Amino acid sequence: MAISIRAEDIFHIGNFPITNSVLLAVVAFIVLIVLAIILRSKLKMIPGGIQNIAEAVLDGALGLMDSVLGDRRKSEKYLPVVLTVFLFVLCSNWLGLLPGVGSFIVRTGDGTVPLFRSPAADLNFTLALALIAVTFVNALGIAAIGLKGRLKVFFNFKNPITFFVGILELISEFAKIISFSFRLFGNVFAGEVLLTIMAFLLPYLAPLPFMCLEVFVGFIQAFIFGMLTLVFISMAVSEGHGEESVAVAN
Amino acid sequence: MSQLFSQLGIDWHLLISQAVNFLLLLIILRLVAYKPLLELLHKRRAKIEEGLMKADEADKRLKEIDQIGKEKIKEAEGSALQILKRTESDAKDLEAKLLAEAKRKEEIAMKNAEAALRAQEEASRRATEEEAAAFVRAAIIKTVELSPSAIDDALISKAIKEARQG
Repeated sequence: MAISIRAEDIFHIGNFPITNSVLLAVVAFIVLIVLAIILRSKLKMIPGGIQNIAEAVLDGALGLMDSVLGDRRKSEKYLPVVLTVFLFVLCSNWLGLLPGVGSFIVRTGDGTVPLFRSPAADLNFTLALALIAVTFVNALGIAAIGLKGRLKVFFNFKNPITFFVGILELISEFAKIISFSFRLFGNVFAGEVLLTIMAFLLPYLAPLPFMCLEVFVGFIQAFIFGMLTLVFISMAVSEGHGEESVAVAN
Repeated sequence: MSQLFSQLGIDWHLLISQAVNFLLLLIILRLVAYKPLLELLHKRRAKIEEGLMKADEADKRLKEIDQIGKEKIKEAEGSALQILKRTESDAKDLEAKLLAEAKRKEEIAMKNAEAALRAQEEASRRATEEEAAAFVRAAIIKTVELSPSAIDDALISKAIKEARQG
């Protein structure tokens, strides 16, 4: 039994290594695209089957976003980013729990490695998502309140307190990336390790409760990632962001 | 730093590939799923709102029609009452006319009956007279057969005349 913090290379396309986590991320990508295409082809005014589920998810997400953003138009505007983050992470996490992931082995130059690995158990996946989320947060913030308004959050020379708060805001942007990526990575990787150890120690039935727990953790982590993205977007697109914390400090 | 990245397995190639993967997914899902689904939800909401508005309008119209119906029924009841009264008075007129006509016909019939009766009386009186005359004649003939010289026709006529007057 070998537990590697790095995702293992399966093959290379030119200089680009394709790891087992990238492979499962591509599978998650394909699954979501196929579901979206099926949904698109079956869209009707009176919903049925997959459209019912999709509408329930969309309505739930919009309701949740309304409670944070307070405006349905804003919710609809930022829905694609937030919901895609949630769905992609959820799909990746749950695909990582399927039988076969981790047990299909391929021989590579580095020895035998699992063909698939949960994408979130690879820092490249979580870091990429975190970078994209934070980039989107700032881009949407600039689009909503303008570049000047957004920069004012980080560089405010009104008084020493606002300046200091601005520096903290700037540091928190980087902290967001780290917290986003390491939280998801830590949870999913720990789950993988837990499941591997349980399967190694007691192969039958014993891993089942932990599997259920990981299904729940997979959902919760996807939800947290999406919700944090939403909250950061909400803070970034509101005019008074930064000034509230200064007011509190005063 | 690069050693830490290497130990954690962070590789910019993989970062880019994962980022591209996500961005592609975001674009495709936005075009294929979110946009059409949101449009459909908007369309459905608009349709439901329109339906509710129309239902409200229909409700108002129904109330108006109901009101109009009630007014019409009231009007109809009024006119029916008038017609009934008119019919009643017409019927009374007709009844009076018919009664008068019946009375007139009754009088004519009475007159006719009286005339017929009188004629019948006259006829029967004549017949009785003729029968009586014939009987008297027969009696006289019988008497004459017994004594023909003592009786003549003048006496007979005189006797009849007196009998009629008496």
